[in-house]
Amino acid sequence: MKFLVCTETRSGKIEAISLEMLAAARTIAAPGDEVVALVVGDSATDAAARLGAADRVIAAIAPALSVPTAEAYARIARDVMATEAPDLIVMPYSATGLDVAPELAARCELPIVAYVVRLDRGDDGVAATSQIYGGKVMAKTRITGPAIAMLNPGSFPEAAASQVAAGALASLDPTPLLSNLRVELLGEDQPDLAEIDIATAERIVCVGRGIGDEGSIEIARELAGLLGAEIAGSRPVVDNGWLPKLRQVGKSGRKVKPRLYLALGVSGAPEHLEGMSRSDLIIAVNTDPKAPIFGVAHYGATCDLFDLVAALNDRLRAPAGS
Amino acid sequence: MHILVVLRMVPAPATEFEILPEGLGLDREWMDFQLNDFDDQALEEAVLLKEASGARVTAVAIGEGANRVLQMAMARGADDAVLLSGDEEAGLASPAGLAAALLPLIEERKADLILTGVQSAEDLFGQLGPYLAGRLDWPHISGTSHLAVAGGGLTVAQERGNGVVARYRIALPAVLGVQTSTKAPRYVSGSKLREAAKAPIAKGPAVDSLPADGARLAMLSMPLAGEGAENLGNVAEHVADRIAHILAERGLRAG
Ligand SMILES: Cc1cc2nc3c(=O)[nH]c(=O)nc-3n(C[C@H](O)[C@H](O)[C@H](O)COP(=O)(O)OP(=O)(O)OC[C@H]3O[C@@H](n4cnc5c(N)ncnc54)[C@H](O)[C@@H]3O)c2cc1C
Repeated sequence: MKFLVCTETRSGKIEAISLEMLAAARTIAAPGDEVVALVVGDSATDAAARLGAADRVIAAIAPALSVPTAEAYARIARDVMATEAPDLIVMPYSATGLDVAPELAARCELPIVAYVVRLDRGDDGVAATSQIYGGKVMAKTRITGPAIAMLNPGSFPEAAASQVAAGALASLDPTPLLSNLRVELLGEDQPDLAEIDIATAERIVCVGRGIGDEGSIEIARELAGLLGAEIAGSRPVVDNGWLPKLRQVGKSGRKVKPRLYLALGVSGAPEHLEGMSRSDLIIAVNTDPKAPIFGVAHYGATCDLFDLVAALNDRLRAPAGS
Repeated sequence: MHILVVLRMVPAPATEFEILPEGLGLDREWMDFQLNDFDDQALEEAVLLKEASGARVTAVAIGEGANRVLQMAMARGADDAVLLSGDEEAGLASPAGLAAALLPLIEERKADLILTGVQSAEDLFGQLGPYLAGRLDWPHISGTSHLAVAGGGLTVAQERGNGVVARYRIALPAVLGVQTSTKAPRYVSGSKLREAAKAPIAKGPAVDSLPADGARLAMLSMPLAGEGAENLGNVAEHVADRIAHILAERGLRAG
């Protein structure tokens, strides 16, 4: 089998998900198989230093590709797919991958399997295990011909970053592929972390949609105060305007790894887990015993979050040890 | 501008998921269905664009309860409604099947902007927006918010992760996967809904939900829930005691 791993870079730097995808391909690659990594960016330096887990690296480098648009990436990937004819194309479930992978599936008439968290190899091909319904159901698909697999970030350990072997790095001039682009990147806005950076917080109290309404945030805020924690929220809480965007944890919010993550009324969708599953201690409170958050939590409780917060606030108001 | 917005009914997040004995489908009999959250945002964005620029909005819906959702879409401001029929028992929707049904509709209605939610909970076989765009050879962006008409195209924002937001200009015709509408989906009154219930709903093509050969569903299963989590129970007072204790033990109690 030939694997094409479509890596991601940002301003010349290889993103962690790229090494996870390489590791995923390596777990099912047999002797004699080949793992090829595609790099699209404005520099191949970091790629050459870190993508040694691939047998071969193809680098499409141009100044305009510092932050490649999905449109540009898809054109380059399609060009590489035409010459390499890979059996399995591995892409990330990232902002770019989410746009590139299904487009390529449509254009190249390939099947696509999304939200993949596990790959296995059998006699009859590759089995992919995906999380669907926000992580509430697992789906195993059997892939018997050329296909695209979109991998959830954080599902595979990162491959060790090592130097690409001499002669294994080839370059591809992307310029001819980049004319008449119909999507133009106007700019990027960085979060103003001077205000608050929850990624540096040691303790986080995170509220999910289970908190119900804006007014109820107050009791969670009191709990955060008693714990010396920052308050954070899942996407719906932020979308509803109950907490500022800078306090969103997850795929499109911040990635956090505090010593304590207390999740209240958070279901634990993969996009949320991506931002917090590596926290040291995760305690989750959710009335639904089947909530996926319990899959990553160290401690879980199925009581009502309001009862719990009231009781916990009482305990914490009293001096420790009493 | 003619906007076609695609609305999909999906199992409500709080519904009980029961897998059929063969493991290839869900027992849909007692499941609650609701409009996909992100499609709701897409509908709102379509109506906001109509209000800002005079676009025409056609709402297309599929799934259990789609008829009701189309009435709601009309009450919120859509001009036309089209109901796609599908085999509800056929299992997971595939973007390939849905795209095949949408392509002739898009051409017939001369739509030049397709809006749909960035994803649905059933997207095992890929997300509709970029898939459809690939079939149409139109530019596309997913994960979008803050759509605005600018020149001959649109400007949109997209969340890139870690709090970074990218801003783009995209030419029309285009497909956008909407993440968040510029304003929260509006509320419609009962009287407006009753009024909209009289509006005609056109019948669209049937959707074939079979995914492409080469990747097929082999088995559905429930995740090993609570695998790692030690259960603290469901009695708030006890749970609070345990948590206070765990925090004290780990030196995590402030003060
Ligand atoms: C491209 C993309 C990016 C995304 N990025 C993010 C992101 O950055 N962050 C993020 O969080 N999500 C993100 N999402 C959304 C994600 O898929 C989920 O929709 C979201 O995480 C759900 O939030 P929630 O858990 O708060 O809400 P829900 O899934 O609605 O869960 C609410 C939970 O509260 C529980 N509950 C209700 N009442 C109570 C009570 N009284 N006591 C205890 N428990 C109760 C319920 O059992 C339920 O499990 C993204 C999605 C996409 C497609």
